[in-house]
Amino acid sequence: MCTAAFLCAFLTLVPLISIFGYVFAKGVVSLNLDFFINLPRPVGEVGGGMSNAIAGTLILIGLSCLWAIPLGIIGGIFLSEFGDNKLGTTVRFTADVLNGIPSIVIGIFAYTVFVLPMKSFSAISGAFALGVIMIPTIMRTTEEMLRMVPRTLREAALALGISQFRMTVSIVLKTALPGILTGILLAIARIAGETAPLLFTAFGNRFWHQNFTQPIAALPLQIFVYAISPFDDWRRQAWAGAFVLIVIIFLISFISRFVIGLRYKFPTSK
Amino acid sequence: MKKLLLVSIVATMAAVFMSNAALAGRLLLINGAGATFPYPLYSKWFYEYTKVDEGVNFNYQSIGSGGGIRQILAQTVDFGATDGPMTDEQLKQAPGEIFHIPMTAGAVVVTYNLPQVSERLRFSPDVVADIFLGKIKKWNDPRIAKDNSGVNLPGENIIVAHRSDGSGTTNIFTDYLSSVSVDWKSRVGKGTSVNWPAGLGGKGNEGVAGLVKQSQGAIGYVELAYAVKNGLPAADIRNKTGNFITPSIETTTAAVNGKADSMPSDFRVSLVNPDGADAYPIAGLTWILVYKDQPDKVKGRKIVEFLRWAITDGQKYSTDLLYAPLPESVVKKVEEKIDKINY
Repeated sequence: MCTAAFLCAFLTLVPLISIFGYVFAKGVVSLNLDFFINLPRPVGEVGGGMSNAIAGTLILIGLSCLWAIPLGIIGGIFLSEFGDNKLGTTVRFTADVLNGIPSIVIGIFAYTVFVLPMKSFSAISGAFALGVIMIPTIMRTTEEMLRMVPRTLREAALALGISQFRMTVSIVLKTALPGILTGILLAIARIAGETAPLLFTAFGNRFWHQNFTQPIAALPLQIFVYAISPFDDWRRQAWAGAFVLIVIIFLISFISRFVIGLRYKFPTSK
Repeated sequence: MKKLLLVSIVATMAAVFMSNAALAGRLLLINGAGATFPYPLYSKWFYEYTKVDEGVNFNYQSIGSGGGIRQILAQTVDFGATDGPMTDEQLKQAPGEIFHIPMTAGAVVVTYNLPQVSERLRFSPDVVADIFLGKIKKWNDPRIAKDNSGVNLPGENIIVAHRSDGSGTTNIFTDYLSSVSVDWKSRVGKGTSVNWPAGLGGKGNEGVAGLVKQSQGAIGYVELAYAVKNGLPAADIRNKTGNFITPSIETTTAAVNGKADSMPSDFRVSLVNPDGADAYPIAGLTWILVYKDQPDKVKGRKIVEFLRWAITDGQKYSTDLLYAPLPESVVKKVEEKIDKINY
């Protein structure tokens, strides 16, 4: 039994490790300084890079977080603290359904809402699409994390005479913060590699974008285009891009955990 | 430590936003979208053009010909691009008159996997059609052997590989098969994706190439550039005049030349089966789509300047990337068309 369990656990690790290993092996050899500081170059020109796509991905993540995190967390607070009614059930159900909608559909939604009326592809329409994907994850994890805060803690706070608002913000939210952060990181990790919703929103850009109402480059888009090209150099750069994307997600996760970890102790399993 | 990290994160973000603000308004960005097939050439052009005109950046994204047509109709891009001309119906939907500006030509090659055959195979048009119809099932079929005397053809089964996704390459290839085979025209027809009577589907050029590479006895079709860059064999095809033609840049340009005299004024023309003794018969044009009356004067002027440059000076970049440059006679006609764009 024990052996079987170990075997199964090992088997689930195999695809993960092989993907990491393969992308690492293919990606690292293709990395060089040019890749990080130069703009994409056409076939036959040496020294092409993805600097604009790396920055673009970070900016898109930042813009999406800007609106999706507050909305998700406040929504989660509503669900956990005031959501034991019909409205709460409806919101919960809607969020779960939204979570299951294919990302390309959300891309088309953003295209209809943002791109068509503005008559232009733009960074903000991309951030809108990505944010919509983030919200249900953040909202539902926030709710679950808040629910895990012991009732006694809330009662103690209220008994000391602080308002419900202060209790929620200073006690409940603070206690649940590491868990909420995990939810946010999961959401970021999910959107960082999304290609489909960006095809018809952020659109991609071979140059530096100049403002957020213009198309913006993104790593997954650039990888997608390069990976299916007939040229070795571009395919090589696609591998490098895939590797950098994984590293970015890892770094975001690591730094955020580090910053939070300095201030709060992570709850150990009880 | 924590403060340091926070400060550095905030500083980086501020720097990014400031650099955004500093760049804003200095450069004109013109967006285009469409066909994947000419993407390598277009990216080369737009890269070189930044040296010709430093005040403008052309951003081209290869979302597919269908996407390019839809986006130019929705006016979300400044220009579109397609491998298959817009239909009359699509042109009617447009809010203004749309011009097709031919930019370059490409060829579709028939590739195969027969390690025991070292000679380049030759096919007659009706044989290609019947192989893809599933009528010719063995490599040593007498009809294949007839065109390849002296070649020791194996008795293996033919495995047909085709594109599973919508594609301009398929459009050119099925357009060709429809023009050479009545049976194909009535049973399958032409289009970016058709109902294949036989074979396996692969996504993209690399999907078809992968299928062909993996299975001995396979046959498929890919773009010329893809076959050359990946060392795939490309069969000679018999053209209208009866010559077997090896696909190459020269024979593709010859195909454009073969249609030069009969080129309609809107350039919506199929290049398959052209006249000319050395014209490769499975070729197609690729177009940039622009509105005749440009909605934005500044952008309109820049687009026209670029188009003029691309079909003259820009043509010299084609051959390196395995696209066929437009012949002089066609360039003249295209220039006249570009002059009609209002801005």
